[in-house]
Amino acid sequence: MDAQFYPLTVSAVDPIISGRATSVTFAVPAPLQDWFRWQAGQHLTLRLTVNGTEHRRCYTISNPPAGDLRITVKRVQGGVVSNHIADRLEVGAQIEVMPPFGSFVLRPNDTARRTHYFYGAGSGITPLYAMICDVLTKEPHSVAHLLLGNASKKEIIFHEELKILQQTYSERLSVRHVVSSQSFWSGFSPWRRGRVDAEVIQAAMAETPPIAQDVHYWICGPGDMNSNVASALGNLDVPQARIHMESFGSQTQAERTITGIAATAQVTLNGVITDVPVGADQTILEAMLAAGLSPAFSCQSGVCGACKATLRSGDVHMRAHMALEAKDVEAGEILTCQSLANSKRLSVRFVA
Amino acid sequence: MTQMYHNLPVNAYTSQDWFDREQRLIFSRTWRYAGLVEDIPEPGHYVSVQAGLNNIFIVMGRDFRLRAFHNICRHRGTQLIRALGKTQKALTCPYHDWTYDLEGNLISVPDEAKEYPKGIDKSCLGLKPAAVDVWRGMMFVHPDPDSPSLVEFLAGVDPHLGPHKPEELVEYEEARQTYEIKANWKIVVENYIDVYHLSHLHANTLHMYDHAKAEFGWKGPHYHFWEPPSEAYAKDLETNLPTPRVIPEPHKGAWVPMLFPGLGLGASEDSWNLFVITPLAPDLTRIENRTKLANVSSWEYNKQSWSSAGFWKNFGGPKYSGDDVASEDDPMASGDFTAEDIYACEQQQKSLASPYLEIGPASVGESPITNHQNAILDFMAQQEKRMT
Repeated sequence: MDAQFYPLTVSAVDPIISGRATSVTFAVPAPLQDWFRWQAGQHLTLRLTVNGTEHRRCYTISNPPAGDLRITVKRVQGGVVSNHIADRLEVGAQIEVMPPFGSFVLRPNDTARRTHYFYGAGSGITPLYAMICDVLTKEPHSVAHLLLGNASKKEIIFHEELKILQQTYSERLSVRHVVSSQSFWSGFSPWRRGRVDAEVIQAAMAETPPIAQDVHYWICGPGDMNSNVASALGNLDVPQARIHMESFGSQTQAERTITGIAATAQVTLNGVITDVPVGADQTILEAMLAAGLSPAFSCQSGVCGACKATLRSGDVHMRAHMALEAKDVEAGEILTCQSLANSKRLSVRFVA
Repeated sequence: MTQMYHNLPVNAYTSQDWFDREQRLIFSRTWRYAGLVEDIPEPGHYVSVQAGLNNIFIVMGRDFRLRAFHNICRHRGTQLIRALGKTQKALTCPYHDWTYDLEGNLISVPDEAKEYPKGIDKSCLGLKPAAVDVWRGMMFVHPDPDSPSLVEFLAGVDPHLGPHKPEELVEYEEARQTYEIKANWKIVVENYIDVYHLSHLHANTLHMYDHAKAEFGWKGPHYHFWEPPSEAYAKDLETNLPTPRVIPEPHKGAWVPMLFPGLGLGASEDSWNLFVITPLAPDLTRIENRTKLANVSSWEYNKQSWSSAGFWKNFGGPKYSGDDVASEDDPMASGDFTAEDIYACEQQQKSLASPYLEIGPASVGESPITNHQNAILDFMAQQEKRMT
């Protein structure tokens, strides 16, 4: 994995949903094109300096691999970077960008015949949109069903694009909007009012049950939506291995109150072994940075997986590990940005 | 010297040994038709189907996804469920009440502590999965969960099967029937795909189609066939169709493929029919017929039936009449093409036992027969190679 940042030039800045979100397109110069290939669902890490402070943010690529390299950023109230992008970013600006990354990916297969169910809310549509486009164009025997929650009609990102896809691929795509606001004046009638909850999920599935029996479920929403949808699917007997998800927005804060214990971590990075002291309230990543090491990392929230390593001995507590599947955790993989020491001695190895 | 029937020895049609080899190498190692999707209408419903040596059942979970498992209790091997039915959330073996969830996990062993004092690892005793998928409104199973996909198996022949969407049609229950033919299953297949016999055995029963203009061929082990309506039938086709159309105009003709192994379809302008061939013994074969028709009002059916009455009134007739008729129920005097086919198959099977049997040369219209024999030989050779 390449953890380096490359300067990319912004080639388009498009405000959408009345300026509450912004699509940013990057020009990828020929020599960098190999580095900047991506799979539907992957994200970019941006490094920007706003008012003299450096910030790193992860944003999902909102186009399938056949399209332009584009991210779509929703304004967060008080958010330094999202508001900077919305208000000040201009075409021609250069931004430091790390190559596409992430394990929440849908790899289309032109001979596969699958049913894909997508569950999203808010800006969680961005990876799902890329995946849906990819399935429709590169997996001709498969169908896609999208269940998308938003606060109101005007918050729906890619509303028009989805409508066009639906018309073009009417036999292979269904789109259901679930809107939580009670406004009835817009002339828009969503499939349901309310939230993407267990009842809504089951009703949607009953309307469009799977025809192709190789079924996959893709979830991307803010807050606890992912775990809610996953448990609703679990209650319907969906096996865990068929559920794929990525979370957006803030992690549960309660997890932050847990601390670890002071420890020494023997770290193998790029073939070099270093003993790193880890404080009780330090993550392994924080301890490594403090010790002057420079491992790869990105989102620092357990979403992207850039800081992944293998725990060879000892015990850690991970605050979050969205980027890891259950089988990865079982195999000893950890996200160092989320790992607190739970034993006095640890051995951690980064895969080169 | 071995008596040959074109490319196969005659005993391929008569011996238990060949029958067993086919069960093992063909029917146990390929995608097998398992019913129409409407046979499992909602979560908890299940059906079972015999795929060669394997009894496999399909059950729908509450996520509406189908799961297929080998119908064998992991305890003593008892068949877990019967032919079809409905369960809530679990499948219980009748023998010792071992119970599995709809994912096949063993979830309950009665008197577990007493009967297995040293403990029992339920996680290693889940049901053995099989593969299941749906294509054109039909369910298929494969005994091997990691088999190549159904779409790969059928992709080549699919474009040659007509524009029918069986999943949008409704079953005509009266036409559903199961019967046995006293002949080897390959005799039945060969009869189905023999183009030569259409104008002769069925001279008075299938002549609404123009057999001389039939187009047919092979995609892998699958046979495809299409023929246009005869001049007389086509002249006023929309008036002459006995029931409402199931495919849009201007599509016309009859698509009559034979999907490997032994799944015949018969699809025309106004109906879609299944002809499922299941070998029961070297000289005994079960046929299941199902028919689907247009999903329209009975008024539409009445209208079509009145408009076509004129054409069908004088259409067809028996193969034999007068002194040639052997008895009141002579199939050759029935005027029914299925009765004619059964008769021909059974008469042929009888002769296979004779030392004086010597098969004549295959005609152009019989080339599908020799091709099917090759498909059988190839498939068995392939599977034998894979097993070693």
